[in-house]
Amino acid sequence: MEYSLFFWSVMGWMVIWGAIGGSLIRHAYFMRDLDVTDARRVGVAVGAATGPFGLIPLYLKTPKLTRVWKIAPWLGVLGLFLLTFALSDPGNVCVSSGSFLTSQIANGLIMGTIYGLMALGLALIFSIIGIVSFSHGEFYMIGGMVVYYVTAVLLPGWNPLLAVMMACALTFCVGALFERAFLTPIYDGRVERPIEYSILVTFGLAFFLQYLVQGLGGANPVKADAFIELPRWRFPEDGSIIATSRANITLFDTIFVSTPRLMAAVVSILALLALIWFLFRTWWGKALRAVAQDRQAAAVTGIDPRIMNMLAFGLGCMLAGLAGAVLVQAFSWLPQTGAIPALRSFVIIVLGGLGSLPGAFIGGIMMGMIEAAGAGCIPDPTRAAAYLPAYGMVVLTLVLLLKPTGLFGRKA
Amino acid sequence: MKTRFLTTSAVLAMTTALAAPALAADCPIKIGGLAPLSAPGSVTGGEAMRAAMRIAVDEINEAGGVLGCPVELVVVDTEGLPERGRAVMERLITQDNVVAVGGGYHSSVGLASKGIANDAGIPVVFAETWNDNITADQQRFIFRLAPLSSEVAAIYANFAVSAPGVEKVVIIAENTDYGLPASDMTRQGLEEAGISTTIYTVDIGTQDFSGIIQRIRADRPDMIIQVLTGEAAYNFTQQAAEAGIGPGDLIMTCDQNALESAAFWQNVPDGNLCFMNRIGLPVAAYTERTTAFEAAYVAATGKDAAESYAMEAYDSIMVIAQAINEAGSTDGDAIVDALEAISYDGVLGTITFPINSSNTPEQAGVEAKWWHQFPDPAITVVQYQVTGQSSVDAPVVYPQVYQTGEPIWANQ
Amino acid sequence: MIRALPNTLGALGVAFLLAFPLLYAAGNYDYVMHLWITAFFYAILASSWALLAGYGGQFSFGRMAFMALGAYSAGLLDNYVVLSSAPTGTCAEFGLFGGWLVFINPTGVSTSAVNCLQAARAAWPEGVSTSRLPLIVSILIGAGVGGGFGWLIGTLVLRLRAAYLALFTVGFSEILRAVISAEVWITRGQAGLPMSPIFPDGITLFGTYFASNAKLPVYYVMLGLFLLTLLVLILLARSRIGLFLRALREDEDAAEALGVDTVKYKRTVFVVTAMIAATAGAVQGHYVGIITPNTLILLQMALVIAMAVIGGLENIVAAAVGAIIISFGLEFLRNDFVILGQSVDMSTWRLVFFGLLLMLTLRFLRNGVIHGGLLWLERRAVGAETVAKRRAGAEGSQ
Repeated sequence: MEYSLFFWSVMGWMVIWGAIGGSLIRHAYFMRDLDVTDARRVGVAVGAATGPFGLIPLYLKTPKLTRVWKIAPWLGVLGLFLLTFALSDPGNVCVSSGSFLTSQIANGLIMGTIYGLMALGLALIFSIIGIVSFSHGEFYMIGGMVVYYVTAVLLPGWNPLLAVMMACALTFCVGALFERAFLTPIYDGRVERPIEYSILVTFGLAFFLQYLVQGLGGANPVKADAFIELPRWRFPEDGSIIATSRANITLFDTIFVSTPRLMAAVVSILALLALIWFLFRTWWGKALRAVAQDRQAAAVTGIDPRIMNMLAFGLGCMLAGLAGAVLVQAFSWLPQTGAIPALRSFVIIVLGGLGSLPGAFIGGIMMGMIEAAGAGCIPDPTRAAAYLPAYGMVVLTLVLLLKPTGLFGRKA
Repeated sequence: MKTRFLTTSAVLAMTTALAAPALAADCPIKIGGLAPLSAPGSVTGGEAMRAAMRIAVDEINEAGGVLGCPVELVVVDTEGLPERGRAVMERLITQDNVVAVGGGYHSSVGLASKGIANDAGIPVVFAETWNDNITADQQRFIFRLAPLSSEVAAIYANFAVSAPGVEKVVIIAENTDYGLPASDMTRQGLEEAGISTTIYTVDIGTQDFSGIIQRIRADRPDMIIQVLTGEAAYNFTQQAAEAGIGPGDLIMTCDQNALESAAFWQNVPDGNLCFMNRIGLPVAAYTERTTAFEAAYVAATGKDAAESYAMEAYDSIMVIAQAINEAGSTDGDAIVDALEAISYDGVLGTITFPINSSNTPEQAGVEAKWWHQFPDPAITVVQYQVTGQSSVDAPVVYPQVYQTGEPIWANQ
Repeated sequence: MIRALPNTLGALGVAFLLAFPLLYAAGNYDYVMHLWITAFFYAILASSWALLAGYGGQFSFGRMAFMALGAYSAGLLDNYVVLSSAPTGTCAEFGLFGGWLVFINPTGVSTSAVNCLQAARAAWPEGVSTSRLPLIVSILIGAGVGGGFGWLIGTLVLRLRAAYLALFTVGFSEILRAVISAEVWITRGQAGLPMSPIFPDGITLFGTYFASNAKLPVYYVMLGLFLLTLLVLILLARSRIGLFLRALREDEDAAEALGVDTVKYKRTVFVVTAMIAATAGAVQGHYVGIITPNTLILLQMALVIAMAVIGGLENIVAAAVGAIIISFGLEFLRNDFVILGQSVDMSTWRLVFFGLLLMLTLRFLRNGVIHGGLLWLERRAVGAETVAKRRAGAEGSQ
């Protein structure tokens, strides 16, 4: 009990000095006619990390806020937080067990990669068309459903990668067709408020797709077979470095990785590399980026923005479909499966800065780590997992308070 | 003048249109059926119950109906939502004019809706609502076939005590009014036997259990008891297996829906050696009626066996029909009197309600929860012992009275 | 003639709604009343959302979250705060106007625990009475809580681009759902928080006694709230604030340049509509008798949005009428039907058509079905008048 009192009093200390630092430092920079854009954030971070000990020198000196100033205090805040946590709950499995911690980090990274892939689709759509798709989760769900129906019902025994490609193709086509049929009015000013129109119309699509799948396929959970089943293998003989079973890889007897998830992450990384190659090395990819940067200028050079819009929406939906297609071997799948991943993608792209592609991917990995930390380290076992959907939102709220444009956002 | 005439005739037209069904004669006799048929309810369970109730009504009608009238089943979708449950109960009573109600899956829906039926004097025979409070407040019109949650918890606790080498148990429960009381009562039973117990609570929609599973793993339990429904149970079992703490590695009880063999093996390929509780007569003790119902159910649904809740739903309709016949009237009070005196040879065994208004809990010296409760729905523990096994062939391993095979202890 | 039609229809509609419970007498009276009460509830949510989105251009997905905040605030007060004529001695309590305000300790969902009030009751002498807080107080507190959260969210995201509000409010709903599901000790989680009826001891109106579960008093309460909501929303839309809102919607930068404090006006409307939703939630919670975190799932929000859109986002009354029609429609479409020997499970397929209808309405009937229809009537009226004038002019010149 006194440990938790210690934890919360340190948190209170950090919040109070963060608030003081924010207004104080901004005031100092403002009064001296210096650039105040980052002053408040730096003040919050320095205040929270060091209390008055860092704030007073900063207030007196008001140095030029370089990149180091913008990042180092935040690392200090994170460090102080972790230290307090470790001191206040020394018996916590996150603190006492190194192997648990590494397993959690490995799992967080793996899931984060897949989250990142899915969020990337949403960010791609936003960067080109400037809209947020509310049907992203349904494309994720459909990707998984296609893989299940192809591998388990229609063509059993075929290579699952073929099914993944079919899922990509289908989600791309559905996305592109939808874009042609329903999103064209937003380009030529036929709707007054394109962002809102597109939110509502993709919301309608989500509704339609989810219940269409339920109507056609029922609401029973389904699951595809694992893409790869590992043979039982030990190296060296006692398995102290690597040991595999059908669905699990154990490294150094400490890190446990589920094979279906590892496979999903590997495919995601391959897809990501292919996407980078496409965006930076092909004409189509370059054209897409050109449209994202300056629509008019791109049109002048002979790029048809209409085709690019269609391509962007289709690609974005395809990335969601791909994330679903590789995860259907790890999770049981339902028509409602898309709701939580969609929500998570929203949080990720706001966290990373709307429309920033690297931001979306890094945000995804952060999200994976945050969820792993929340589920693994919150002391109360009756709450740790129940709050899983909320952890990302808490971080997002903090980020929005401090940097409304997200971590990698370009402009307000 | 003209408008008033229009309004009046509109009202009249509406009145007649809506009143038409209400004015129908007493034939056919209508019986209501509660089942969750859309999310967030457990659709798998709801569809099974609907199929079973339809079989019951078909059989009744083939045998000439009730009181010379054909019987009509009105199945309503509770969506697993308490507020929806109240609305549909009201609808059954005031719009469809049912004389009695059967079925019912989610405890929360049952608890929320039973008062409405009791106030209206419409008897309800609940099929699959386990929460003790359904019967504990001794409402005159409320009956139940499903086992009491506390009794199932006791079986689990005793089973854990009988298992070899169990000193530490982890219970993973959904945060519903099925999961919370059941996990709490199981823990009480276990702690009385000197077995230390930790409860992990999760949200019903949870898909990714990896963080929690790593924590459970770090706890090093000897046994895991699941109090989860729906796809969450499938996800948990398979992910635990992938992390090396599945049913093949330690003693694990899966939840009831593991009895749906086809879905279970598709979703949990590594689920062998899982223990499950099963309500209803063990296969070896099947009566003629059980065998006949199972044949009809398998033919109607294409599944390979009838689940507990399907049997309960079937019996809930049949017992109502017999009570109406014996009462010779569709009056609620008459049906209740008949139900209190009934002895019906059903799929679950011989159904009686021995604790009733002529033999109150105080008189009988038992707890209030036994009011209008079918006293011995056989609760058994069965175990899958071969991958891909049908739940019909899985041997009963506990309690001894019904035992048809020796348990295989994964930790030995 | 045609021009006055919308107003005439509106007046007729209100008269019809006021008279309906007295005229209608079929056997399924309670059921039909229930459908109307639910329809009014959705109409309140949809019309307030129409003001927020259609006039204010703020696409918040938090309607259900504010509704739940209102309902849970009222529900928690209903369950854990009691006015008593004698002190309990065991609960936390304060003296208040000669009575005692008692705070009961929550006992969660466990079946055996006894709370401090039950314990005190056993020891009390005869004649000690307890009652809940006056309904109006708990509803107002519910509205206040909803408004407070509305203010916080508005402060946090309204200065950002439009998409942020939509994304953040979706997340807010989800976080609230998680909290309510997880904090079982006080909210009772998925088991649902029971709430007492609106008139716990029944009510006597014009010499007729209505029991606590009678529909007629609740019908008029909800209808009154609905009409009051419409009035508030219409006044708001016609006021200076409404004017500014439209200015903001058309061109935010220009409005800002002209000195309109955009965030302030946006936030005012955000808070007002949040309070309306919270009030509706508190009343509906008392009527239904139970409230669960599942009211927060996205499907429920989707229903409200679709109702407003199909009715007509730019017109508050049209959105409300759309909500009433759709909530009846969805209820009647529940019945399964058989086509080509296959039984079609309408509980799923009706939602498929609903999604399709939402998309098609947005795409092809931008003003919604009902508002669009009214506009069409208006255009016809103007057309007819012009023709008539021209004809009159032509005749006059001959």
